[in-house]
Amino acid sequence: MASGKRIRSIFDLISNYVEEMESLADDLLPVERPSWDVKASTILPLCNVSVAPDEVVVTADLPFSDPDSIRIGPSDERTLEISAKIRRRVCCEDLGIIYQRGEFSTFYCQTRIPVAVDMKRRTKRFKNGILEIKLPRKKGHQIKVGSIRKDYGELRLDNGKF
Amino acid sequence: MPVPINFVEKKPLPSGATMLCGFPDVGLVGVLASSYVISELALDELAYVDSDLLPPVVVLHKGLPHSPMRVFGNSGLLVTIAETAIPARGIQRLMRSFMGWVKSKNTKMIVPIGGIPTQNRQDIEKPEVFGAASSVDMISLLEQHKLDVLREGYMVGPQALIMRYCAENNLPAVALLAQSFSNYPDPEAAAAALRQFSTITGVKIDVAKLVEKGEEIRLRARDMMKRTQQELTKMNKGQESDLPLYI
Repeated sequence: MASGKRIRSIFDLISNYVEEMESLADDLLPVERPSWDVKASTILPLCNVSVAPDEVVVTADLPFSDPDSIRIGPSDERTLEISAKIRRRVCCEDLGIIYQRGEFSTFYCQTRIPVAVDMKRRTKRFKNGILEIKLPRKKGHQIKVGSIRKDYGELRLDNGKF
Repeated sequence: MPVPINFVEKKPLPSGATMLCGFPDVGLVGVLASSYVISELALDELAYVDSDLLPPVVVLHKGLPHSPMRVFGNSGLLVTIAETAIPARGIQRLMRSFMGWVKSKNTKMIVPIGGIPTQNRQDIEKPEVFGAASSVDMISLLEQHKLDVLREGYMVGPQALIMRYCAENNLPAVALLAQSFSNYPDPEAAAAALRQFSTITGVKIDVAKLVEKGEEIRLRARDMMKRTQQELTKMNKGQESDLPLYI
């Protein structure tokens, strides 16, 4: 190894390789876009998606937003679009951006839902600046597992077929 | 080659001071608390950390570049702040070295402030603060102040390392951990932790402005929160919610 670090065991060797791979992976990450867009006057809010057995809960942090202006809509079966008007004037300088001029009027984000949900039955609440959306999960087709024959340890479905 | 870690002292550090530590963690509770105390008590920059273990970042303040990890203070109080997420890869070496340096300053007590991710945080009006201690004496101190002590479980991240190295080096330390959002900046949790910090150390801090400016802070702290979250994932921060195995 070029690092000059004394290799004590195979575990050191593996550990060095893991570090190198992590470093490579970090370098390969695409350049991120800013969390704001002056042209569209939008700010990307922090968003979180958690999957429970019966529902998916999406939350978004929307400080200074007007509760009546919150719009939630599915842009497709698995994507949720959230927007909310900001109730006070926020300009680039307020966010510490001094090399660009502009104002932001809206929070806007699109969130991918990792499992199938019923978008029509969604519920929402907005409390202390946090938006919470609950989406009931779609139930998949259930297959009943029938008896297990002890002698062969054989698994049969209810209709007797495998 | 070991990566050098230098602690550059711009001004003499007081001996026997209490040190508050605020590193990027869940809800940015520690960073918000440290940042507020530095500004509210108009503390001077006394030292900074220079190391390749920190990301290639400078923080610009008043047009001048600064290290992302600095120590501020006055005659009785030191405040450490990291203004960028510390990469998971180098955090152990960095924190071990940092605590060795802190020990050389004869610090009276070290108080890392952080958050405990709480699922129903949205419904909690006043976040509770829990304590963790580096020694039996420090547990007694927490109990004297009627703080619930975390007796079993896991801590992960910068606060965890501070507590581990303080225990190893016989440095008195109490971690103050407020119920907080996991992924969202939580100024109210920072305020709750600072109230307890004031009670335990006697350092007077009026947190009214921190609560008042809550929404503004949440708006501005989004990017730091996002980067912190990425590093916390690499540190397996989720292990804090694991059930402790104690038979």
